[in-house]
Amino acid sequence: MIRFENVSKVYARGARPALDEVAVDIARGEFVFLVGASGSGKSTFLRLVLREERPTGGRVYVAGRDLSRISSWKVPSLRRSIGVVFQDFRLLPGKTVYENVAFALQVIGKPRHVIRSTVPEVLEMVGLDGKEKRLPHELSGGEQQRVAIARAFVNRPQILLADEPTGNLDPTTSLGIMRLLDRINRTGTTVVMATHDDEIVNEMRKRVVELSTGSVVRDEIDAVYGHRESILPAVGQTPVLDAPGRGTPQVLPQALPRVHVTPEPADLEAERAAEEAAARAVAQGEPTLDARADVLAEVPADVPADEAPHRATGSADDVVRQVLREHEHVRAGREA
Amino acid sequence: MRLQFVLTEVLSGLRRNASMVVSVILVTFVSLTFVGAAALLQTQVTKLKGDWYDLVEVSVFLCPTGSTAPTCADGEATEDQVAAIEQVIDTELADVVATTYFESKAAAFEAFTEVYPDGYQGTQLTAEDMQASFRLKLVDAEQYQVVDDVLEGRAGVEVVEDQRAVFEPLFVALGRASMMAAGLAGVMLLAAALLITTTIRLSAVSRRRETGIMRLVGASNLFVQLPFMLEGAIAAVVGALLAVGGLWLAVQYLITDWLQESVDWVAYVDVSDVLAVAPLLLGIAVLLAVVSSVVTLNRYTRV
Repeated sequence: MIRFENVSKVYARGARPALDEVAVDIARGEFVFLVGASGSGKSTFLRLVLREERPTGGRVYVAGRDLSRISSWKVPSLRRSIGVVFQDFRLLPGKTVYENVAFALQVIGKPRHVIRSTVPEVLEMVGLDGKEKRLPHELSGGEQQRVAIARAFVNRPQILLADEPTGNLDPTTSLGIMRLLDRINRTGTTVVMATHDDEIVNEMRKRVVELSTGSVVRDEIDAVYGHRESILPAVGQTPVLDAPGRGTPQVLPQALPRVHVTPEPADLEAERAAEEAAARAVAQGEPTLDARADVLAEVPADVPADEAPHRATGSADDVVRQVLREHEHVRAGREA
Repeated sequence: MRLQFVLTEVLSGLRRNASMVVSVILVTFVSLTFVGAAALLQTQVTKLKGDWYDLVEVSVFLCPTGSTAPTCADGEATEDQVAAIEQVIDTELADVVATTYFESKAAAFEAFTEVYPDGYQGTQLTAEDMQASFRLKLVDAEQYQVVDDVLEGRAGVEVVEDQRAVFEPLFVALGRASMMAAGLAGVMLLAAALLITTTIRLSAVSRRRETGIMRLVGASNLFVQLPFMLEGAIAAVVGALLAVGGLWLAVQYLITDWLQESVDWVAYVDVSDVLAVAPLLLGIAVLLAVVSSVVTLNRYTRV
């Protein structure tokens, strides 16, 4: 679906290449994480797929098209087969949820009756049924990202690119977004997601392509984020730095408050709605969207539930229950 | 669907940039008024020429006694010379000259006394003081030069005079006025082009979010740029319509209703001439808008 043949990209003459002889082949229907430090070339990779940039060397093939050969007037038709989601959502602030999603269809000239039938469908899929008339600023971050995903997916693209879609979201909300992307992936859409979120990468167990200063240093199936180098001096346990992925989590004395993030109830509600929509789809015999939903819920067996506060342990209802339980813990901790 | 969407975008763009749009309208209005004024002055000159050149003649003055011109060294033109000149006019200038009329000294005196019955500035003149001449009416008054080339310097011809020279100062004045109007129009048009460019750029920058999303979801170039182009074009066309309206009012009230009443023997431009100029003005406005928007948009909303 996406093939990079020894692709190099140099932005300024003489500068270090943003991508250096990158060769990656992504098959139809794959889910690929693109990881790497800031400046490692993840965004350049995505921009090349969108043909926002042209490679300095090598060839990029997307959906069977050689991007160095297609003429500029065919670029729009290429982009209609690709959906994009960003860290900062990029919604139109003056338009409602419905209008934001409909906008993507309007500007490619879809007839009104198509828009009228497709938009509610996709909004239901992302769990925003009933919130069509809200403006973006009335929504939580997670909901806004759902709108953005709905907009990217409403035209049923073959490829969905996501540039740190969970970068602005708390872990539980991120999880909901990931389930959504996973569901989209299972409809046959190829998903490429650039991310820094090791927790998500580790849980999803998908293919991971790691870039470092413009080169592919790792390309593994069923992989994890990898070891994060410790760049901070060891100053002992601090609440903020106690994030998963930084070595073995240490058990904190109960009295010390941990940093907890309580997701917006609306996000949980949206996730539940999305799940119900998926379940309904299954009941109606549509291609199964949620057959492997429990993959996401996997929690390493050696970590007690209380030590993995942001990991879901089942359906969205369980997530809510767990979050509320954690919330109680925090309150208790503070009072103690 | 598409059309409605584009129109909604255009309207919202016009509303958002109201002050810039108004300034574009005003600048195109003023500049195109100058363009129109220049065009109307040219029309006026053409009309006057058409009317007046039908009346003008070329006078071929024959040598009088005591002339200092080199061709008159032999004194007053002889009958032979007059006959020779007439012969030349009838043959060489047959295509150019429509009618020939020989004014003898006596006839000239008669015509003179009619105008100045009491003598010229207190001097009593006689027929002997007059000068015989050929009066030539040309097929086309503009062909004076041909006549001059053939007759000037011939024995017996003192000077060849073009009556058009009488009107020349007026036409020169009108011509300069129209040049000045055209010059100002040029400057104003440049200002209008720059202003439209700026307006479209502002509009494009303020809607970068929208256009960015449009590009990402695969809207075609034309679809992304059309609203901006239309915005510029609408503003410019409104300016052009205002200019046509302004010129119409000016011609109607200043010329048809006022100048025509007081000085009625001149053919003036009228409202129909304004309407004839209108398509030109609208065309310039659209061209201006399209050129400036294509230049700007290629820089700011490229795919």
